[in-house]
Amino acid sequence: MALQTEDFIPTRYSLLSRLHNRDDQESWKVFFDTYWRLIYSIALKSGLTEAEAQDVVQETIICVAHDIEKFKHDRTLGSFKGWLRNLTRWRIADQLRKREPAMVENAPSAQIGGELEAGETPDPADDGLEKIWEEEWRANLMAAATERVKRRVKEEHYQIFDLNVIRQLPANKVASTLGVNLAQVYLAKHRVLALIKKEVRSLEKQW
Amino acid sequence: MTEEVTIPVVSDHELLHLIGRGSSGEVWLTRNTLGTFRAAKVIQKKKISSGMPFEREFSGVQKIEPVSRLHDGLVDILQVGRNDAAGYFYYVMEIGDDISTGQTINPEEYTPRTLGWDLAHRRRLPIGGCIRLGAALASALGYLHRQGLIHRDIKPSNIIFVNGFPKLADIGLVTDLSESGTRIGTDGFIPPEGAGSAQADIYSLGKVLYEISTGNDRNDYPALPSPLVDSAESRDLIRFNKIVLNACRSDPARRYQSAEELMTALLAFQFSKYSPRKQKARNHLSKIIGIGGVIIGFGYVIALLWRLIWVLNHTP
Repeated sequence: MALQTEDFIPTRYSLLSRLHNRDDQESWKVFFDTYWRLIYSIALKSGLTEAEAQDVVQETIICVAHDIEKFKHDRTLGSFKGWLRNLTRWRIADQLRKREPAMVENAPSAQIGGELEAGETPDPADDGLEKIWEEEWRANLMAAATERVKRRVKEEHYQIFDLNVIRQLPANKVASTLGVNLAQVYLAKHRVLALIKKEVRSLEKQW
Repeated sequence: MTEEVTIPVVSDHELLHLIGRGSSGEVWLTRNTLGTFRAAKVIQKKKISSGMPFEREFSGVQKIEPVSRLHDGLVDILQVGRNDAAGYFYYVMEIGDDISTGQTINPEEYTPRTLGWDLAHRRRLPIGGCIRLGAALASALGYLHRQGLIHRDIKPSNIIFVNGFPKLADIGLVTDLSESGTRIGTDGFIPPEGAGSAQADIYSLGKVLYEISTGNDRNDYPALPSPLVDSAESRDLIRFNKIVLNACRSDPARRYQSAEELMTALLAFQFSKYSPRKQKARNHLSKIIGIGGVIIGFGYVIALLWRLIWVLNHTP
């Protein structure tokens, strides 16, 4: 479902309040779009298959939906970032426990955590996880900010930004490819970059 | 665990085997009493969570059935039946081409050719093919809209080929423009304002054109494919892309205002050839205008300064 309220970044208070209402599909869509890649990527790096990682995304989002009220009122649960990391880690552990012996043999190897024994719950404060979570969190912020800006700027400007900044095509090559002049390339790049930086700052403040 | 398949009764048709299953129903390959192959979509009430979509789909069939055979770009609906006691209804359609044998159907090996299948196997289509396909579908969509109907779920897997000609299929979500409020459709093909309007259908078709011309996923929009080498095909793609952008603008007011307008743009593209010489001349002219503007501006500033100095020198 597409968004109608992409013109602003929700504040921590407003998004949390709206997530309380499970029927508020727009807010859940904003939340899902912002965090699914992060959860999915961590699940894959923990050695899960793509299908298992998708289940982890789904289960983690369900947990957020279920416990968001508890999180809002219990400050001992810490920051949202830490809380989401723990939920993700626990759901990954659930997936690992569900595995049958044959699956374990063919499973991809984990970059973090290491193999768990049956019934063992992984430590959310695991150093490897902490480091990768931090890296993924930053990469995810950048990706989420770019995605949001992409939907708001003029399509032609995003294409210039994509070719020049993301794909590193020289400005004169971008200009000749798209049939625009150099000034337009620099202007579009500047505008999109400024919006992405602003969006990242807003997302950082969000939680 | 395999799902139990209950075989419904479709009047005068022998149901051969399942060829598709979606959220709202199953599609069967059938053979009628004349031996002609057809496709029959069966919608069972018990497989739909609430009664509303069942009735909505039936209502859609009622609306589209009289007009489906009046335009080449819509899949013909040939027969409709309903069995309330058993809780299902069905509609029989012309059969889509097989992926390798076209309209020569071998029931044992039949796989319907959809645009989704083409994309999965060819990744992207040549721009000429995109124009032909886009113009045919825009024409069908324009016809649907003129009848006061909207499709609401245009995407590659809902576009089939009959004798190689593209047609809008899966008409289950077709509805009146007047009752189009429900949020429905497929993620990525729905515009920011939501599905359920003629404008939204144009956006969805624009996203289809984006996928078939770039080979990118709809969610990558508006990114261009890579690599973009300096070739006639790439130049055509950049020009074609302008049509895609005008069909998929976030603001519906900046989109093509009708499917006919989109079709006209596609046909105009076909008849206007890219000329590197003309483009070079245009670039040259804009450079001259730019330089001229700078000179005039500079001269204006000098004149002002000169006038200021003159006034200061002649002021007692």
